[in-house]
Amino acid sequence: MTAIALPVADHSYDISVVRQSLTLAKRSIKSTLRQPPQFVPGLAFPMLLCAVNTASLSKVFRNQGGTSGYLNFVLVSVIIQGVLFSASGAGMDVATDIQDGFLDRLISSPLARPAILIGRIGGSAVLGFMQGSLFMVILALFGARVMGGPAAIVTILLGTVLLATAIGGASSALALRTGSAEAVQAFTPMFFTLIFLSSAFYPKEKMRGWYKQIVVHNPLSWFIEAMRELVVKGWSWSAAGKAIGIPLVLVVLGVTWAGRMLAWRLRGAE
Amino acid sequence: MSDQPPVVAEGLMRHFGDVHAVNGVDLVVTEGEIFGFLGPNGAGKSTCVRMLTTLLKPTGGSARVCGFDVTTQAKEVRKLIGVALQDAAIDPMMTGTELLDLQAVLHGIPKGLAHTRAMELLERVGLTAAGDRRVGTYSGGMRRRLDLALSLVHQPRVLFLDEPTTGLDPMSRISLWEEVRRLNTEFGTTVFLTTQYLEEADQLCARIAIIDKGTIVREGAPSVLKDEVGSPTLVIDVASGDVEKTKLILKTFGDDRTVEHGIGVGLTGGAGAMADVIRALDDAGIALHKLALEAPSLDDVFADATGHRLEGAAAAATSGAPATAGKRGRRRPGK
Repeated sequence: MTAIALPVADHSYDISVVRQSLTLAKRSIKSTLRQPPQFVPGLAFPMLLCAVNTASLSKVFRNQGGTSGYLNFVLVSVIIQGVLFSASGAGMDVATDIQDGFLDRLISSPLARPAILIGRIGGSAVLGFMQGSLFMVILALFGARVMGGPAAIVTILLGTVLLATAIGGASSALALRTGSAEAVQAFTPMFFTLIFLSSAFYPKEKMRGWYKQIVVHNPLSWFIEAMRELVVKGWSWSAAGKAIGIPLVLVVLGVTWAGRMLAWRLRGAE
Repeated sequence: MSDQPPVVAEGLMRHFGDVHAVNGVDLVVTEGEIFGFLGPNGAGKSTCVRMLTTLLKPTGGSARVCGFDVTTQAKEVRKLIGVALQDAAIDPMMTGTELLDLQAVLHGIPKGLAHTRAMELLERVGLTAAGDRRVGTYSGGMRRRLDLALSLVHQPRVLFLDEPTTGLDPMSRISLWEEVRRLNTEFGTTVFLTTQYLEEADQLCARIAIIDKGTIVREGAPSVLKDEVGSPTLVIDVASGDVEKTKLILKTFGDDRTVEHGIGVGLTGGAGAMADVIRALDDAGIALHKLALEAPSLDDVFADATGHRLEGAAAAATSGAPATAGKRGRRRPGK
């Protein structure tokens, strides 16, 4: 070790929530991208499921354009499935920070408390945007088209980012409540149950009985159908409103829950 | 504010239900000293540190760090302290440089200065070459050194180190001790250190408090505490034919003491009586093979205060921590 003079101490720096949040979001994104096992399944599984479904269900959509028709139908579902897969990783990371003591490092510093959540959930949102964009490009290469044009593409990406934020918030809340990565992982399948109980992969008009009742009342179906309308039918203010409004409500719920859980976890200290 | 001691605790308590983890701790750490908090696992050391570093709210009593109350003025406390907790809490996916930059942001240090400081600290702790490597590839000693560097980014007035060398190999341990000493002597940084290693407390700390079952049982300079325990032990080795004669002579200087090798006597007159012992043995024509004066150890102090030996003392000794004056065959001295 070498003797180096430290600069003169100054403890009067301004604490910027924005700078701290951006730095923590950057850390969250870097950390995810440096762990392929954390993001590859979120890309691979939706694409794999899309390929299987396209092969088996495209006949159903023969009258609406065959394979391209089904790709248009399923485009939004693939994006949402990927986001559900990846955004729950935010909770895993929060739990790991708690278990490894990194959260203690953060809270023993003058860090603005909201930055802990903004950084982590913001990271989820950026990753959701990247993921949504990538799925759109890949499916476009196979013939999918967004009939609503650029405005619809922007709306779909915005809806995706909001959903990623909501899921990031909910999974972070779970992590803050339990402090256990295993517990968060155990809850993750619940997010997938929601998508399989929605109209993500099959039109609700073709469903029957109790299953249809669940699908019709699942808010995820409302969100998917609004986004799908922008893809399949074209631009509509009403669909765009639902595509933004529904995930926005989920953001409020997820982030509020996460905020309350952070306050609960910090209660021992503050 | 600067006139106040860096750390003051009065009747500090933390109860978890029926468990009294910390039960009325009073202590004062003075400016520029290395203060050691010595105790076995579960004694309440880490709970105390967590309260002093604002990570845990006390359930009773009060504490002030750098003049600020840890409960009501926690934000101010956090600006002035550096903390390295028991397990080096470091994100293995980030590089050393990235973590130092992040730590600087947590303290609001401007970007340009933050990077300069990161480079200086990496050099200081000997990690310049590893700065751009992910921390997951670091050894335990490197992680601890980085942890120390992280806690120094904002040049804290008080540095809290919670068992900083637990699990480290002897070389890494000595290297960290040197760095802590240098910080203290060169910059006057006040260091509050918890440890379960007797040697660490003995080597580093100007003053220690011994904690057991949530209560401080002894406090003072290690040398003073050891002196209070009893007289030093003089260990003498002579030819086998002279043993009985030697014992008779030594009885006039103090009580018999059991030692691992040779003859032991508790010197009532302290170190000053050594010359008289040598003269008396010389007058009797006894040739000395070995002569050593051993002071009481901190383990003796701990045993005297609590009635039991410090857990892990043996482990520390066998793990290769450097020997000190007090490291020898263990005994329970009389007071």
